[in-house]
Amino acid sequence: MAKPVVKKEYTLGERIYLLEILKGMALTWRHFVFNVKASFRPEPHTVPTCWQYPEDRTREISPIFRGLHMLCLDEKGREKCIACGTCAKTCPAHCITVKKGKRKEGEEDKYASKMYCASFDIDLLHCIFCGFCQEACPKEAIVLGREFELAQYTREECHLDKQKLLANYRKAKEEGKLRPPRKAVPVVKPPPKPEAGAPKTTEGKAGKPAVAGKAKKGQVEVKKAAEKAKGAGKAESGD
Amino acid sequence: MNQDPVSQNDQERLGELVTINIGPSHPAMHGTLRVVTVTDGETIVKAEPEIGYLHRGVEKLGESLTYHQFIPITDRLNYCSAITNNVSYEMAVEKLMGIEVPEKAQLVRVIMMELARIADHEVCVGILGVDLGAFTPFFYLIIQREEIYEIFEWYNGARLTNTFGRIGGLDADLPDDFEERWRELKPNLRKANEETEKLLTHNRIWMDRTIGVSAFSPEDALNWGFTGPCLRACGVKRDLRKDETYCMYDQFDFEVPVGKNGDVFDRYKVRMIEMEESIKIIDQAYKLYKEMPADAPLKARVPKVIKPPVGEVYSALESPNGELGFFVRSDGSNKAYRIKIRPPCYMIYQAFNDLVKGEMIADLIACISSLNVVAGELDR
Amino acid sequence: MEGWVIAIIKVVFIWAWVLLIATVMTWVERRGAAMMQDRLGPNRAGPFGLFQPLADGIKLFTKEEVLPKKAHKVLWSLGPLLFALPAFSAYAVMPFGDKIVLGGKEIILQVSNVNIGFLYILAIGSLAVYGIVLGGWGSNNKFSILGGLRSTAQLISYEVPLGLALLAIVFVYGTFSLRDIALAQQGTFLGFLPNWGIFKQPLGFILFMVAIYAEANRVPFDLPEAESEIVAGYHTEYGSMELGLYLFGEYVNLVTLSSLIVVLYFGAWHIPYIDVSKFLGPVSWGIVSFLIFYLKVSFFLWLFVWVRWTIPRFRYDQVMGLGWKALIPLALFNLFITALFIQLAA
Repeated sequence: MAKPVVKKEYTLGERIYLLEILKGMALTWRHFVFNVKASFRPEPHTVPTCWQYPEDRTREISPIFRGLHMLCLDEKGREKCIACGTCAKTCPAHCITVKKGKRKEGEEDKYASKMYCASFDIDLLHCIFCGFCQEACPKEAIVLGREFELAQYTREECHLDKQKLLANYRKAKEEGKLRPPRKAVPVVKPPPKPEAGAPKTTEGKAGKPAVAGKAKKGQVEVKKAAEKAKGAGKAESGD
Repeated sequence: MNQDPVSQNDQERLGELVTINIGPSHPAMHGTLRVVTVTDGETIVKAEPEIGYLHRGVEKLGESLTYHQFIPITDRLNYCSAITNNVSYEMAVEKLMGIEVPEKAQLVRVIMMELARIADHEVCVGILGVDLGAFTPFFYLIIQREEIYEIFEWYNGARLTNTFGRIGGLDADLPDDFEERWRELKPNLRKANEETEKLLTHNRIWMDRTIGVSAFSPEDALNWGFTGPCLRACGVKRDLRKDETYCMYDQFDFEVPVGKNGDVFDRYKVRMIEMEESIKIIDQAYKLYKEMPADAPLKARVPKVIKPPVGEVYSALESPNGELGFFVRSDGSNKAYRIKIRPPCYMIYQAFNDLVKGEMIADLIACISSLNVVAGELDR
Repeated sequence: MEGWVIAIIKVVFIWAWVLLIATVMTWVERRGAAMMQDRLGPNRAGPFGLFQPLADGIKLFTKEEVLPKKAHKVLWSLGPLLFALPAFSAYAVMPFGDKIVLGGKEIILQVSNVNIGFLYILAIGSLAVYGIVLGGWGSNNKFSILGGLRSTAQLISYEVPLGLALLAIVFVYGTFSLRDIALAQQGTFLGFLPNWGIFKQPLGFILFMVAIYAEANRVPFDLPEAESEIVAGYHTEYGSMELGLYLFGEYVNLVTLSSLIVVLYFGAWHIPYIDVSKFLGPVSWGIVSFLIFYLKVSFFLWLFVWVRWTIPRFRYDQVMGLGWKALIPLALFNLFITALFIQLAA
């Protein structure tokens, strides 16, 4: 396993070191001058690429940033969550625990549905912020917000219970940092159903992916209606 | 791991040899690599890489998580280009299930994967500079990488661990401001690359440090299972994007750069050119994307619970480091029976002893940076 | 008695002054690097982060001294001292201005005008290598030893071209005294060039520059402390003020070497074509010459920073190759040419 011997071929300019070094120095000098000039600009953005983070919070964070979780309320201020537990099942880190509760008489202004979550716990130390819970949620109740400063001193503080989740929502609403509603991606339309009486083929079985996926580009039609898209959102949202 | 013993001649001189333990905590060991080096003065007699410091049981996790739940875990393989890992895994499951991903989704995948490739190469080249003492290019490159991450953040809300795409398609469409961002980013990317080249490529100190260092012949590279830029630097023109095309890569016009000597300089150069080619691919892909109707599907019909038919599949794509493959075996349940990952680094890192034998300690550092060994991918 | 007082004042003054420059240099280095790399650099302590060196100093002083279990205690503590002391004492023969007249007494701005100033600086400069080697050996760490060994080989190899380049200067000026050399650089050379060493010794200047970069362990010759290869080289194990002495000694070294360049090649306190001393009184000329001198020095200090953040690092064998295969033959050639010219001119 002898190593190949490499012949070094240099041009004269490369051989004498200094020429290329001077060129490089000219380049760093240009950067230096530019940045020195820039550093005399008014605060907070002196040098264009630097954010003076704890003081300077002007950096725009994506509205769909996957940060701290929250439990959403609907327009009437009722809890959206129906305690179906899809989020807990979907979570790859198994960090969500949901307990069901049944709505009693006179609590209609508190909970949107007959079922509600008696407790909703998220262990932030386990969470990997993949966003699967919000994608799986049929009611868009659990949502990942824009809050990203999650360091705490104790383990207890890293544990989100229902009250904290609701408080996160109220805080985000106050600051106008609510996540825009999720746009479901358009899904390939299922192929037309076989005519009645025709021999039953595998195509008939709805959702058999091996066939459904074979729809060619030309045949593809798109679901436009929002309800349909929402339904698709359910279908796609994994197991 | 290379087990070949110190040769007889070396044994006799064993009193003169020094064993230096480079890593797992060492400034140039990119995370937690470790090389047990036997040196004669500064010349390396033997370098034995030891792996496993970042072992997290990723493959085993794949057996206890459902098919969708495994996607975020693949982010953590090569964390410099998480999107490529996601897509590679998704492609494997899609192949197993016989799903055909809509064209528009494939285009978005191409765009995002090429962005990830640029980000990965920028980190690699930047770190190579840092390890050879040239600190400045690193910053020029890393600033542009931040801008790429900005695009990722606006796409689905995460910068590093993207969890991009779902089995059968995508989780979101390209953001509306993608075109604007890309138009701004493109010249900056080119400028950063140009400046890096200006500072390094023709500088004799850089050339001396890289040309001929850890050179590798194409036969050896193939025997060791090299893929990606490291193989292409040896002069073997193999790129899965061209050879075993996927995701509509056959429709794009791009060059596959090839080196000559397989040394550090060629690897650096191949990566620099690949970045330029990636920019071209993104342009073409985005043009095709724009031609598609706005409501074209982005996802194939996929059942709610993914249960692939019994069987096994291997699917690979060209990740920034080389061939990244996923072997998935299904027993018909909603969890994989076995997931095996074929990371490019693992094969490349095996040859480390042969790569650096006879070189000096400083070259070992240059070599390990130019191979772009990512511990997350290596140990899994 | 009076002579003693003046000498002590001069010593204290120049010691404090060099210390001050070295302190500011740590700030300039970090801030300058940041500006070249599109970053901000230290900007928290004081205006523009100017008090950062102070904060660093306090931090280093108050940190615990950690002695590795198997370190050689004597050599361990001797290392930083031997590194920092020569760096300071080299300034004893360095002129830092012309002269100042106070109360009818002429005071030359130089701690002592030794007629073998040259040899003194070379000798003291060579001592610094002991600090590095002892520190590397005393740490009982393989990386430290490698760093120490690299530095030995490097410093010794580069002292040869350094000495040969200086010898050519001695040929030209015919004296070993630094002050005499500085004084000799007034006026013009060949009628239109400033009478500076660089125009008489262009090749010698380049050789000297390269050699002092190696002497100062700066990029591209910072092999003894190459952080990506051997962690931090000879000071891997050091902490607290012992590390501080190493870092500080390096900057003091830079000041000394930059001053040497200015004295030998850049006309010390002279400004080309104009004799400023004619327009100024004896006191103000002394101050102005001092300022001019340090203006020039600061340029070379900046050059050290500038080069460091532009180019990569050599490899050990390449440094040796450059030293022995390129610089020494060139230095000998330079010496030969210089001798030839002097012989022809005579």
